[in-house]
Amino acid sequence: MNAITSLASLVLAATMATTAWAQDTTTQTPPPAEAGAGAAAATSGAAAAAPADPAAGQVGDAPVEMAEGATTLPNGMDITPVSQENGRWYNAEGIPTFKIENGVVDFATFNGFRRYSAECHVCHGPDGEGSTYAPALKTSVLRMDYYDFQEIVASGKQDVNTAANLVMPAFGTNKNVWCYIDDIYVYLLARGTDELPRGRPAERADKSEEYTAQEDSCMSM
Amino acid sequence: MKRLLNSTVAVLLLSGTAYANDSVLAETAKPEQWAIQTGDYANQRYSELDQINRDNVADLRVAWTFSTGVLRGHEGSPLVIGDIMYVHTPFPNNVFALDLANDGKILWRYEPQQDPEVIAVMCCDTVNRGLAYADGMVLLSQADTTVVALDAKSGEVKWSTKIGDPAIGETLTATVMPVKDKVMVGVSGGEYGVRGRMTALNLADGTVAWKAYSTGPDEDMLVDPEKTTHLGKPIGKDSSLNSWEGDQWKIGGGTLWGWFSYDPDLNLIYYGTGNPSTWNPSQRPGDNRWSMTIMARDADTGMAKWFYQMTPHDEWDFDGVNENILTDQEVDGQMRKLLTHFDRNGFAYTLDRESGELLVAEKFDPAVNWATHVEMDPNSDQYGRPQVVAEYSTAQNGEDENTTGICPAALGTKDQQPASYSPKTQTFYVPTNHVCMDYEPFRVAYTAGQPYVGATLSMYPAPNSHGGMGNFIAWDNIEGKIKWSLPEQFSVWSGALATAGDVVFYGTLEGYLKAVDADTGEELYRFKTPSGIIGNVMTYVHGGKQYIGVLSGVGGWAGIGLAAGLTNPNEGLGAVGGYAALSDYTELGGQLTVFELPGEASAAAEPAAEPAPAEGGTSG
Repeated sequence: MNAITSLASLVLAATMATTAWAQDTTTQTPPPAEAGAGAAAATSGAAAAAPADPAAGQVGDAPVEMAEGATTLPNGMDITPVSQENGRWYNAEGIPTFKIENGVVDFATFNGFRRYSAECHVCHGPDGEGSTYAPALKTSVLRMDYYDFQEIVASGKQDVNTAANLVMPAFGTNKNVWCYIDDIYVYLLARGTDELPRGRPAERADKSEEYTAQEDSCMSM
Repeated sequence: MKRLLNSTVAVLLLSGTAYANDSVLAETAKPEQWAIQTGDYANQRYSELDQINRDNVADLRVAWTFSTGVLRGHEGSPLVIGDIMYVHTPFPNNVFALDLANDGKILWRYEPQQDPEVIAVMCCDTVNRGLAYADGMVLLSQADTTVVALDAKSGEVKWSTKIGDPAIGETLTATVMPVKDKVMVGVSGGEYGVRGRMTALNLADGTVAWKAYSTGPDEDMLVDPEKTTHLGKPIGKDSSLNSWEGDQWKIGGGTLWGWFSYDPDLNLIYYGTGNPSTWNPSQRPGDNRWSMTIMARDADTGMAKWFYQMTPHDEWDFDGVNENILTDQEVDGQMRKLLTHFDRNGFAYTLDRESGELLVAEKFDPAVNWATHVEMDPNSDQYGRPQVVAEYSTAQNGEDENTTGICPAALGTKDQQPASYSPKTQTFYVPTNHVCMDYEPFRVAYTAGQPYVGATLSMYPAPNSHGGMGNFIAWDNIEGKIKWSLPEQFSVWSGALATAGDVVFYGTLEGYLKAVDADTGEELYRFKTPSGIIGNVMTYVHGGKQYIGVLSGVGGWAGIGLAAGLTNPNEGLGAVGGYAALSDYTELGGQLTVFELPGEASAAAEPAAEPAPAEGGTSG
């Protein structure tokens, strides 16, 4: 419960940061090439490999870090985009992340919205918000790390006991999901950090040739 | 209804044949019971009971409750046969027999062992739309496609038959319909590329009598190219194969997960087929026959008499599975055997159920905009087809294009939640959605047992309206007009019940059971049950006293889509989060709530008891 409260504070802090940034855009040109809530240099990048199950203290500290303009998730991962490959953005550790510039989302994040809304929302609800049937993934991705996320999507998950009958299918063989797993992940990151509001992203970057080539290759395998 | 039953009896007497399904006709004719999910074969969901009526319904109170022990979406309703009430649950599909003569003591319970992996292929919650009763057996359709016949007194398994394969996405969510010596069983999985079909099992032992596919070669569909008709004309050879590109029909959907009806006079069963797979129309050029189709088939052989395809080449996921309500009414001074169907596509259709002739097709929500009208001129080459508005055509706008402002949304102006019909007011009472959408189709690959969707959609309350996501309406099926409409904050996802007491009952997603005046729609009573209602309201008599029963347990498509509330991307950021979230009103829970009037069963019970013997006597 403690963790959830802290998480709520985190999201709130992120929202405030976003709002302030959005107001800035009405009066001045925002700084180029910086993602999210005015991302500064990574402050805790080394924590990216931290276990998926975060210690309570880590989560409790999160709002302070966010208030300083940092981009570190409760799970210790820094989401600052530093490099681009095949049309997708990655952080310093090579983990996929999103990039939102002047309100324009990168194509992979936009496509993550589309794929999420086709493959995931029938259980997990619109916009990563969760439903009566399945948890809010926009929150899950803040807690678990990228590799755990991948493993669950690939292999599925069961929570079947006297109180629950929750079963998530394995999507490892489903190209409509697996070819876009990183897109779905970064979309949920953007949702979870409140850098991306609910609904269809208003503006997106163009689809690059590298992205198209990689997509065609994956879908035709 | 009375006329229908009486003439049925006449036929039975004349023919002198004792059918095995006499039990269903007999049990559904007793208003003190609720023997099949739809109340009767005609799907009217009407009760002759009138102890609870418009003058005293305000005094309604909770008589007793029962927790099902399961937390998922609870659709359907309990059954009552004699002194026993039968309650079902979503997965794991437990069944409880409650002794009404002994304070609801559990007489027996059935807890099937199913591989939980089946949950992974249930697209929209692990719902189950309830049990059916026939020949001293309670019939259960399990999620894993097993149909089980249980001895109604002991719960002992009489037979068990698996009609599908969850490994390729096939599941069962619909109730079954026992007819004569058979049991009609549908199949779910339109979002997994399942090939829809009706499977008729022999009621005596569960063996398969016949299968009638919705798509494919003529022999698979049980059609006669010369005699099976569509709007009065023979469907011709290879009618389905000619309407698909290549082998797409094999993974083309047309599943059956709604309600079935039956006319004993005509010996025809009626049902609707679901969406064609995928949701991306560009991947399946053609009319995609016979998805989105009302079908009339011979109850013994399965041979198709007539089809009517409501939404050729679907572009919006407007499944045609909703119930077909059978009535005998006067049209232009002539008594007609009618079939009324409130489709997901937002049109309410009235047909002649003997010939399949289309009589009325009108919008039952003024917000519906994807088509201007249904062509009613038999001489037009567009006869019977909806006239699609290009702006809202996801096929014409094409893949990777976001088509905005389509009304209704994919969940339809109405989903499976069944309407009810009162012969007293000759009015239909219809739970509806008032939701619109943006829809962007894109290319998808098929993998067996995996979702096969191919479109992204965003939903929001109908613009320029009352801001709510639902209406509960009264409908005139002859004029094709709304009589009155009650705005609701959320979609109305509960099946309605009309009674001879001039009251109509329905549940809401917040969890209210509501009673309204059958003539005016005036609200007469409401009570907030522990969880949102997506179940159907039923009624019965025990110990001379009328009760109203309903299952609470939010979930299903409604719980998934509305839990976090809706947003409207077209109204800018200001609207985001501006709509009600279901999670602010209710939580998961599975409970039966039974209502009664205060006081013991008394003189008030006497008048209500009168119609019972009359009805039961003539048809027993």
